[in-house]
Amino acid sequence: MLCDRCKKNEAQVYYTEIINGEKTEQHLCEECAAEYTSFHMGTPIMNQELTLGNLLSTILGNYGGTAQEKGNAQTELHCDNCGMTYSEFMKTGRFGCENCYESFHTLLDKSIRSIQGADTHTGKKPKKYEVKTKDIINELSEIDKLSIQLQDAVEKEEFEEAARLRDRIRALKKEEINNA
Amino acid sequence: MLKWYKEAANNSDVIISSRVRLARNLKKYPFSIKLNDQQADLLVQEVGEAGKVLVTQTNKKYNFCNVNVLTDIDKIAMVERHVISPLLVEKEQSTGLILSEDEKVSIMINEEDHLRIQSVTGGMNIFEAFKTANLIDDITSELFDFAFSEKYGYLTSCPTNLGTGLRASYMMFLPALTVAGRITQLAEELGKYGIALRGTYGEASKSYGNIYQISNQKTLGSTEKEIIERLNRIVEQVMRQERRQREYLLTNSYDEIEDKVYRSYGILKYAKQISSADAMALLAQLKFGADMELIHIGQNYNIHELMMNIQPGNLQYQLDKAISSTQRDKFRADYIRKALPNIV
Repeated sequence: MLCDRCKKNEAQVYYTEIINGEKTEQHLCEECAAEYTSFHMGTPIMNQELTLGNLLSTILGNYGGTAQEKGNAQTELHCDNCGMTYSEFMKTGRFGCENCYESFHTLLDKSIRSIQGADTHTGKKPKKYEVKTKDIINELSEIDKLSIQLQDAVEKEEFEEAARLRDRIRALKKEEINNA
Repeated sequence: MLKWYKEAANNSDVIISSRVRLARNLKKYPFSIKLNDQQADLLVQEVGEAGKVLVTQTNKKYNFCNVNVLTDIDKIAMVERHVISPLLVEKEQSTGLILSEDEKVSIMINEEDHLRIQSVTGGMNIFEAFKTANLIDDITSELFDFAFSEKYGYLTSCPTNLGTGLRASYMMFLPALTVAGRITQLAEELGKYGIALRGTYGEASKSYGNIYQISNQKTLGSTEKEIIERLNRIVEQVMRQERRQREYLLTNSYDEIEDKVYRSYGILKYAKQISSADAMALLAQLKFGADMELIHIGQNYNIHELMMNIQPGNLQYQLDKAISSTQRDKFRADYIRKALPNIV
């Protein structure tokens, strides 16, 4: 069958479009399909073998934007520290250094959530970090500290504790206003 | 000090061992794929030194070795005993290992991550394994600055290990579910809960002797304790299913199973040559029979230890030389004949 649009090449893509409930069906050749739709048959993603190794990078890659945007991103985005490029990462699924997480962070958040089901660490911290976190907390005002605890209580659905904290914060705020 | 596979343990009819692994990277070096040879040498040397500190801060003795200078037989034997991973063996760069004398604790150096801290216990005892790995992590984090971010937690070479870097796994003996053809379905079900079921030697490996590994897939967003508790709940379910299936088998085909178990014992006891796959299948039958008390070979006899000892690498390790596979099959048959206890 020849392409519905150019009537020259063999049709290879069956394209259905539904706009405002109206359905149009077209048989297109590769060229016309690429031109009239955002469909790129020749993108590396589609030709790539879907081995287990790059399944991961495919998941990650799919969050990087459309195929065309990714083409640009691949030439630009790299890690300054270790020289790892985005396409290199897509191939191996491994990062080159700790800075890569920073360098690629714009593409990372959603994809990490899709692999891990979460995007924020809540587990163990190295001791040195715990000390640092404690220092920061110590510098906070009483109200800030209580607000953090309140948030924590709400997340854990400990509503009685949350109510107690909320009242305490209100009382402190009132005091502050009175003192001022 | 008893090695883990010699310990008497909880639920050992279904659970062979509990294992915890923590992935850590040093801040000062690039990750594995960007690490050059010189940096790899330095990394192995530097972390290797930490072995000495571990000796003084825990009540265990540790040994350090450069893995890439070991003989192939030594390496394969260690993989078969789950001390090191196949990946560590394949690497051409400098790689190292710190191993406790009882083989319960090991640190692989320059595997996929700079450090892979592993701790194992016999039977169902994963919190004990975690406690040990966590202690080793505490001690090593005093010595090195680990790559860590407030948001993502411990930074790892592959994002699938990000966060806690924790992989908790059980080695499970599931003969009844295997016979019932339930393993593939089970693997799919577990996958929905973020739990992976794999063959005996981890990723993409086959299962020998009806032994499988069950482990968490997600490492980010939950605390270490939550990850382990979630895995435990699932594993308890699997254990219950396996036991129910075993009972079902025994009620419905007691005679056939008893016959199979005794035939397995007979072949193992009198064979003149035997391949490791055959031996594993027969030993699995025997273990099943012993666990279900169809056959009595002494309560403390550990069939799983025998399973590891008759693997190609470990056989040659005991002989201290490489031999052809036919010779190996003969030696294996000899070895089993001598090691197998009498029926009580």
